[in-house]
Amino acid sequence: MTSLQTFALLSPEIVLVAAALVAFLGGAFAGIRHGWLVALIGILAALSLVGGQPGDGATVTSGGIRIDAFSTFVRWAVLGTGALLALVQSGDIFASAVSRGPGLHRGGTCEEAGTFLVMLAGLSLVGVAGDLVLLFIGLELVSIPTYVLLALKRTDARGQEAALKYFFLSLIASAVFLYGAATLYGIAGTTSLQGIATAIQSPAPVSSGMATVLLPVALGMTVVGAAFRLAAVPMHFYAPDVYEGTSPGNAAVLSTLPKLAGVVMLGRLLALGISAESETAGVGPAAVAHLDLFWQLTAVLAAVTMTVGNVMALWQNNLRRLLACSSIAHAGYLLVGIAVAAAAAATQAGQPLGDVAASDGRWTLALGGMTATLFYLATYMLPTAGIFGAIAYLGHRWPEWTATSGPRPPREEITSVGDLDGLASTNPVAAFAIALFVLSLAGIPPLPGFWGKLTLTVSALEVDWTSPVALGSRRTWFLSLAVILVLNAAIAAAYYLRIIAAMYFKSTKRGVQADGGLAGGLAMLACVALVILITIQPRSLLAAATRAGKTLTSPVPLATADLDTIPRP
Amino acid sequence: MNGFSPQSHLLLVILTPLIGAVVAWLLGSRGLSAVRQSAAVTSLATLFLAGWLVLRYLGDGAAAAGIPYARVEVPWLTGGLFDVRLALGLDGLSLWMFALSALLSVTAVFVSWEAVTERAVGFYSLLLVLEAAMLGVFAARDVLLFYVFFEFTLVPLFFLIGIWGHEERRKAAVKFFVYTLAGSLLTFLGLLAIVLWNTSQTGTVTFDIESLTDATLAHPLPLAAEMAIFLALLAGFAVKVPIVPLHTWLPLAHVEAPTGGSVDLAGVLLKIGIYGFLRFSMPMLPEATAIAAPWLFALGVVGILYGALVALVQTDLKRLVAYSSVSHMGYVVMGLFALTPVAVEGANLQLVNHGLASAGLFAIVGMLYERFHTRSIANLGGVATKAPWLAVFFLLFTFSSIGLPGLNGFVGEFMILAGSFQRAWSGVSPAWQTFYLTLSLLAVVGVVLGAWYMLQAVQRVFFGPSREPPRGAGHGHAAGHGHGHSHGHGQGLADPADRCDIRWHEVMALAPLAVFVLWIGLAPSTFLAPVAPAVRATTDAAAGAFAARMAVAPATDIVSEPSASPPLAAAP
Repeated sequence: MTSLQTFALLSPEIVLVAAALVAFLGGAFAGIRHGWLVALIGILAALSLVGGQPGDGATVTSGGIRIDAFSTFVRWAVLGTGALLALVQSGDIFASAVSRGPGLHRGGTCEEAGTFLVMLAGLSLVGVAGDLVLLFIGLELVSIPTYVLLALKRTDARGQEAALKYFFLSLIASAVFLYGAATLYGIAGTTSLQGIATAIQSPAPVSSGMATVLLPVALGMTVVGAAFRLAAVPMHFYAPDVYEGTSPGNAAVLSTLPKLAGVVMLGRLLALGISAESETAGVGPAAVAHLDLFWQLTAVLAAVTMTVGNVMALWQNNLRRLLACSSIAHAGYLLVGIAVAAAAAATQAGQPLGDVAASDGRWTLALGGMTATLFYLATYMLPTAGIFGAIAYLGHRWPEWTATSGPRPPREEITSVGDLDGLASTNPVAAFAIALFVLSLAGIPPLPGFWGKLTLTVSALEVDWTSPVALGSRRTWFLSLAVILVLNAAIAAAYYLRIIAAMYFKSTKRGVQADGGLAGGLAMLACVALVILITIQPRSLLAAATRAGKTLTSPVPLATADLDTIPRP
Repeated sequence: MNGFSPQSHLLLVILTPLIGAVVAWLLGSRGLSAVRQSAAVTSLATLFLAGWLVLRYLGDGAAAAGIPYARVEVPWLTGGLFDVRLALGLDGLSLWMFALSALLSVTAVFVSWEAVTERAVGFYSLLLVLEAAMLGVFAARDVLLFYVFFEFTLVPLFFLIGIWGHEERRKAAVKFFVYTLAGSLLTFLGLLAIVLWNTSQTGTVTFDIESLTDATLAHPLPLAAEMAIFLALLAGFAVKVPIVPLHTWLPLAHVEAPTGGSVDLAGVLLKIGIYGFLRFSMPMLPEATAIAAPWLFALGVVGILYGALVALVQTDLKRLVAYSSVSHMGYVVMGLFALTPVAVEGANLQLVNHGLASAGLFAIVGMLYERFHTRSIANLGGVATKAPWLAVFFLLFTFSSIGLPGLNGFVGEFMILAGSFQRAWSGVSPAWQTFYLTLSLLAVVGVVLGAWYMLQAVQRVFFGPSREPPRGAGHGHAAGHGHGHSHGHGQGLADPADRCDIRWHEVMALAPLAVFVLWIGLAPSTFLAPVAPAVRATTDAAAGAFAARMAVAPATDIVSEPSASPPLAAAP
């Protein structure tokens, strides 16, 4: 019975894997050409299953699985972005890659579609994992398909370099994370996240003594593991090379989905120090130490990451390298919210709970850092997927050529910012879309990126709002972090504007090919629609992010599993 | 008139340019004349509606009481963590700037009539979007909405400069955008801090400007926080004005911008910085304003002299007008931070005056460029014989700019200088008296310098021997980028007798400005009286704090001044 219930809870992931099998086997034996269509159908089916599961407020645990508002948000984000990315990846979705000429090999094959589905299933599993082992399995289920996806595009030396570089670094990151996870197991004697949390928060001197010694090791290693997924310092340097070497579709995948995994990992790690029951007052010193260490680590990483990313991006000419650097910078912004969440939790853990409850609603907007990070993540993933969709859709351009200068040279793939020159006159729709995405990433009001930066800044300003500004205090740290964030936003505008300047301010004699397939264009238009929707009404997305963030970082009583209410597939 | 509430009237004024932008876009396939006619109709309709709204405001007794007129409130991001509303309304501080935005947009459309022929659809649409954003900035009654409009003025202008500008347009556009954005993001942090302070004191989350003003008066911030927030706000506003060390983006942006963009930039966008001081810094952070006032006053004077001296040596007419903007905004800053009622009211009026004069001057420089394809003062000469009416208008705006009695500039500058001298003789210690007296005298020197460089330019360009720009000088610049010129008018230059005087659309662009230049100059009280209560109310707190500081502080040593402040802060 219990296993059946677990199956029911995992039905979206199971559907994804089933669809992957259909794509693999159908492509190999039944001659299915439309692998990405299978993938899209699978993703939509999984989405409908997620919609049928309880998510609002109720927390359901079964085995190593934990379904709450946070994991539901993650699943929605994974599958929603997955659907967009499937469109970006697929090229022209109704024409298989085989039926087109070798020169036009832009679309994906059945293997790619299946691999992508497995990756989504892994990510979704990361979201629901309530156990270190399941978390690690989920992460590996993300990593291994990524190697395959990268390796399938190894058509030139740079592609091979990208695949190898990613492979080795990812292995190292996984190993480091595994060490950290093993240390956590050593502290608690259990792999269940709930169990580890109990052990860390326990006031008993034996376990807290153990935790004080081992926690820094465990935290450092797991955070480094997460930093690789986020493309944050110190594991950021692979991003430009890998993005440059692979296809736009793969770059879109790499710049969005692993970040989601990284945020989930950090969120779950952070929650280890937060008491699950609001009534229990005395949390152990280890929990406070954990949270303090956590925010210090993430705050420093945030400041360094966004600055490094933005400054690196200033010098990039290659479009994908530029976006890779920008994705590093955005990882830094995401870390701000996580640091804020940890610091706020540390404030609460540091003082008697009754006091917190009295002042909580009164003196802050109570905008948790985790809420800000999740909201920001959504506002980052949409335009990013859209830009890569647009690049995939545009595909190639004709080089400059006149009839007198000899035979017509072959078309060139769009790689550098200069390749977008004059796009506003050759393809106004794509130019407008890219401009919209870029302005949103730059955080220009009232686009979604602005709402994201607003929530992040407010959450950072709110940390310890009532305490005085003193050297080394938490408030000073986060005030400086907020200032660094807005200055970085200004630096970022410089290189984002270069893209717009190329499209709108320069003229060109090079025709645009737009041979990347209509599906990429479709993804681009869908992103435009969603961006405009969030611009006009960011409320519902913010509400969902709030539910998810609050579940993770504020003391919520753990609801007993009421499994009878869950619909069976 | 009952059926048409002021609320919907205000909304209509802001929406009209947006609708016009869409209409212009849709008419794109019908050709240039359809697009520009529709843009002209839209801007004229907006001006008419805005003017009518101003008349209704003046006729309404409630407006004088300091309550925002025509207050609109629509929830936007409410119910959750934030309480952001689309709150709009007019009061004395914003009334004239709101009207000026509508007026200058008409000028911007008509000066571009012949100048912009390529991609005209985009140009006029962006110009109208910019107009809506400018109207929105001055009408916003919500901090976040203000910021949204504030930033959103950058986007259309960025495209206007970058696409239709002159040779270095790309660099100018990016520099303009990044410079302003960097400053305004810090401003944004400061505004958020005020919102959070209000939340911590009153327990309600609001972004409403009135509530925040009241709350910061009722619960003053700790002095250190107030100073920090003041500096954060200053970062954005000072870049926008620009106050002198932060002015380097302005000459580049002005020179490279198309004429229509220059008109809006000089006429309205620079004023947003001053408006920000009046709207946020002064009423919400009075103590910090009082501490910073002498320094900003001094920076204002530095700006006057620096701008004037640099303008004196310019060889490019447009650069000269741009530096004269730096100089004239110095007067406004000076008047604002003299913190006497006369000076602040004068500064508020001078905002409008400078808007009219600099917009007119930039417009005429653009018209000269269309005719002669050069902006170099050395290559122009005797224009008055070829285009007498242009010369008349240029002289009018020059006289307005240098403060000839009877024109608007005189009223503003006189009030600012009178107020500054008043500051020197009222309630300050001898050391400060010397400080204010010296600076005010230097500002008077700036008036003389201003007359010098402007009249010198007028004399060289419009009078003297008729000179012909060397062939190719202007065309060399123009080649290689998509900037439309009316080449037809360049043909007759071989014959100096050939007239190339003002055309009907240029009259449409300049005449409204000239009317107001004379009107404000001859009957300034019409424009001063309705806004005086609001301007005084907004500076009262800061002026009071300043008086309190001056009355108590020994003020013998200027440098030690800030350190003496903490005990004083507790006094009010």
